[in-house]
Amino acid sequence: MASKPGRIVVMWGHLLLLAVIAAVVIYYWMDTRAASMRTVNLLLVQPASIFALFLVLALVPQCFRRVGPDEEEGEKETIGDLARVFTLMAAFIAFALSMQYVGFDVATFSFMVVGLRLCGERNWFLNLGFSAAFTALLIWGYGAIIPFPFPLTVL
Amino acid sequence: MIDMNSLAGAVALLTSSFEAWLWLIPGLMIGLFFGAMPGISITMAMAIFLPMTLYMEFLPAIIFLTAIYTAAGFGGSVPAVLMNIPGTTSAVATTFDGYPMARSGRHNEALGVALAASVFGTLVSYALLMFLIAPVSRVVLRLGPLELFAVAVWGMLLIGSLASKSMLRGLLAGVFGVLLGTVGFSSAGFIRGTMDIPWLFDGVPVIPAMMGLLAASQLLGLINTKYLISDEASRSISFRKIISGMRMSFKQPFIIGRGAMIGVLVGSIPGVGSSISNLLSYAETKRNAPDSDTFGTGNPKGVIAAESANSSSEGGAMATMLALGIPGGGATAILLAAFAMNNIVGGPSFIANQMDIVYAIIFANFAQAVLLLIVGLGFVYIAGYVVRVPLRFLIPSVLVVAAFGSYAIEGSAAGPITLVVFSVLGWAMVRYQYPVAATVVGLLLGRMLENELARTFQIGRQSIEGIFNYALTRPGALTIFALMLVSIGASAYAKHRRRKKGKTILAEEE
Amino acid sequence: MTNKFSRRDMLRLAGVSAAAATVASPAILRAQSGYPSRPISVVVPFNTGGYNDRLARAFAPMLQPLLGQPLNIVNRGGAGALLGHTFFMQQPDDGYTICLSSFGPYIPLNILTQNATFTVEDFHMINLPSQDYTLMATSADSDLHSIDDVMERIRNDPASVSIGVQPASADLVNLTILMEAEGISTDDLTLVNYDGGGPARNAAAGGVVDVALVGGQGFLPLAEQIRPLLTFSDEQRDGWEGALITNVLGDDAPFVAGSQRGFGVHSSFVENHPDRYQILLDAIETASKDPANIASLEEQQLATTWYGPETSNRQLRSTAALMEQYLDLLVGD
Repeated sequence: MASKPGRIVVMWGHLLLLAVIAAVVIYYWMDTRAASMRTVNLLLVQPASIFALFLVLALVPQCFRRVGPDEEEGEKETIGDLARVFTLMAAFIAFALSMQYVGFDVATFSFMVVGLRLCGERNWFLNLGFSAAFTALLIWGYGAIIPFPFPLTVL
Repeated sequence: MIDMNSLAGAVALLTSSFEAWLWLIPGLMIGLFFGAMPGISITMAMAIFLPMTLYMEFLPAIIFLTAIYTAAGFGGSVPAVLMNIPGTTSAVATTFDGYPMARSGRHNEALGVALAASVFGTLVSYALLMFLIAPVSRVVLRLGPLELFAVAVWGMLLIGSLASKSMLRGLLAGVFGVLLGTVGFSSAGFIRGTMDIPWLFDGVPVIPAMMGLLAASQLLGLINTKYLISDEASRSISFRKIISGMRMSFKQPFIIGRGAMIGVLVGSIPGVGSSISNLLSYAETKRNAPDSDTFGTGNPKGVIAAESANSSSEGGAMATMLALGIPGGGATAILLAAFAMNNIVGGPSFIANQMDIVYAIIFANFAQAVLLLIVGLGFVYIAGYVVRVPLRFLIPSVLVVAAFGSYAIEGSAAGPITLVVFSVLGWAMVRYQYPVAATVVGLLLGRMLENELARTFQIGRQSIEGIFNYALTRPGALTIFALMLVSIGASAYAKHRRRKKGKTILAEEE
Repeated sequence: MTNKFSRRDMLRLAGVSAAAATVASPAILRAQSGYPSRPISVVVPFNTGGYNDRLARAFAPMLQPLLGQPLNIVNRGGAGALLGHTFFMQQPDDGYTICLSSFGPYIPLNILTQNATFTVEDFHMINLPSQDYTLMATSADSDLHSIDDVMERIRNDPASVSIGVQPASADLVNLTILMEAEGISTDDLTLVNYDGGGPARNAAAGGVVDVALVGGQGFLPLAEQIRPLLTFSDEQRDGWEGALITNVLGDDAPFVAGSQRGFGVHSSFVENHPDRYQILLDAIETASKDPANIASLEEQQLATTWYGPETSNRQLRSTAALMEQYLDLLVGD
């Protein structure tokens, strides 16, 4: 790695986060103005939005870091580690969004199996057994308490 | 101030039936269990058991329901400490130091601290109540929008202290939270930022958002870790350590006293309550502590501050309910319904004429608090075993529990959707060192901040001059603002002195 | 969109109720149709602890023995009952899902201000026992002693009286009607918006606002702390003193009713399952008229009056029609 003194590293993830925050703030500010231009409606949202956007601008430079030649880039995080986080995240999103459609039992069990595997459980018997038991316990427990129907497919 | 005849009447009422007390333990256990389940609110637990009390006498009914109320208030702090999940809004500040304590192997102590602070807070608040019920009730309805705006601003100061590493990032996290907290119907009747999603009309669902920001984001980041506590020897479950945690609490009577005071006062304001009081108490304690730098990394004082305030808010809410007949939240609305079934209607004439019942309720709560200490000890002992579960089992399990909990709040997809959106946001924020707790505080306070500001503006005839004139007629609000400035000034001065002192010590050592 | 309850509907309903009186007892009907053969869900479009939730939970044990099936309360709160009403409409119209809600004013509000996907005609009211009304009240120690005091001050300076009111509410419509009679625009008033009846009532009781216009029944627990000034009804309600709107604006004074709460079903259920509808109707009527139930509900400050489907539907539809007249006011800008 031949890095010259003062090489600039861009933290793309940080930049993306700031972009998302800025986009949400701008959308919300504009939507509030569209709802009504009365002062009582803009009283807090408008100044807070402007302040937030100002903060985003002030933070953008922090997404660029100057790394010295001998400087370590912190503890190394492997691509594999990050990939596992993203896979788990994707599985979680799929689980949360699908549970009403495929049934809480099926969605929970599937997510448990995938989640346990991703988190490092190599024993499939243990994985399937724990997932099934936990799913049943949870559905029974919450089902007994909450005053809402639970869409179920198998149980 | 204390009416002896009523006191005797209360004792007579409480001792009239032994069977009534048999409901105490089941009530506490139900409360603990429901409270510890994320997404199950105290209100929901009480609403489910309300029909049962229809067939009970007055005393057992009230003992049963208030026991659920007391225990559920503490139940929420167990997942807050062990998994960073504030199952209710009142346990947010408990996560700030409780969870770091658990991560560093002091889960026993953290749970003990929380339990003792809760119990102690409840006791102090009900003791205060005996003297304060009449004056508090006189003040509470007089609080106008400017006073409540001042309370919200006081809570917002916490954002500043949560942003210790990078002020810019902390502020952005906080302001972003405030903005998200105002989405939906404003009290002035405008609908903003809903993207035409009907469930956003009421705003971003706070509990799922908070679970996503604080808990799920953490868990996603823990995937490459084996255990919650890395040191194997620290993963023990020990009564002795829980008790030593309890002792830590009792060594901080001042923090508990302040927490209880804040809890009673804030808890008595209808619609504000324990979700704000725990933040205020935490902020005040942190600002005034000599070791304020260690807050957020597992300082037991943070847990004490949060737990003493949220448990004592119950007493405040009870005062408003009894003295004014006004429910401050869902739980007191249910208690009020249970009272009404027995022809007891809260209000000024109720506390004027039936003080014996008021005292009886207060004494029953004393008994509950003491018993909660014992029942709760067993409960946290069992709950502590969570730290022994390898993370490869814990992560998916807790994520699933969070999803169920977020569904349980409204019974619709709104909860789970909010949960995942905020989990991803929270993970990214944690990754780039944004304090997610500041966003949670903003989310909790945003609506109150905006609505009270809007009402102040409306009463002030929509002009700066009008607002100024209005402020001059509100000495209460001006006092709150003044106290806030004094508190900030005093802590800044103390910090300055400590730093100076620290430097001299260092100089001497050299 | 029409809010008029069609004449044909009325006749059909009248026919159904008339038939009810002559046809066999509910037990026999139940035996014939087998309804209900499984538990019935009661959708409450509000969260636990509110009036509708309490009514549902108190009423369910009274209805269960008559129907022979348990009733499950399903809370679907949020967005001013829009979520709950929409959810209810999406359920099958087979009589196994019924709704307990503040149909007036929320159904018209959902339709007029929130682009709801249903119409007033999609709902059929079985009984609306709880009929709220707007009450203008001030703090017990206020220097405003009567509605005349309020009006006099407002005539001198419309902004001098701060008025607590919920935006997009029946109360706001009533306030506007009152002010229009004086030629005063609501824009000139000092309106202070509250996002709930409770906070607005507390503000009135504590003198935070000079007066508040809110549903009157909710004021009952605060009776000692407030002074009632004006009831928007043509008769005295709940023993409140002060003036009636008909004293101020004359006998034919227009005003909108407050929350109208009770049981409702899908209109298509009445059409497609008249036998089941009859069983349900009879059960609710019997339970509502049972003296023991009336006593128990009154203890809990819950309403029990039996008005029946004809009156209840007419009431809801007239609220909807009046609110539509004041659409601009509700939508705001």
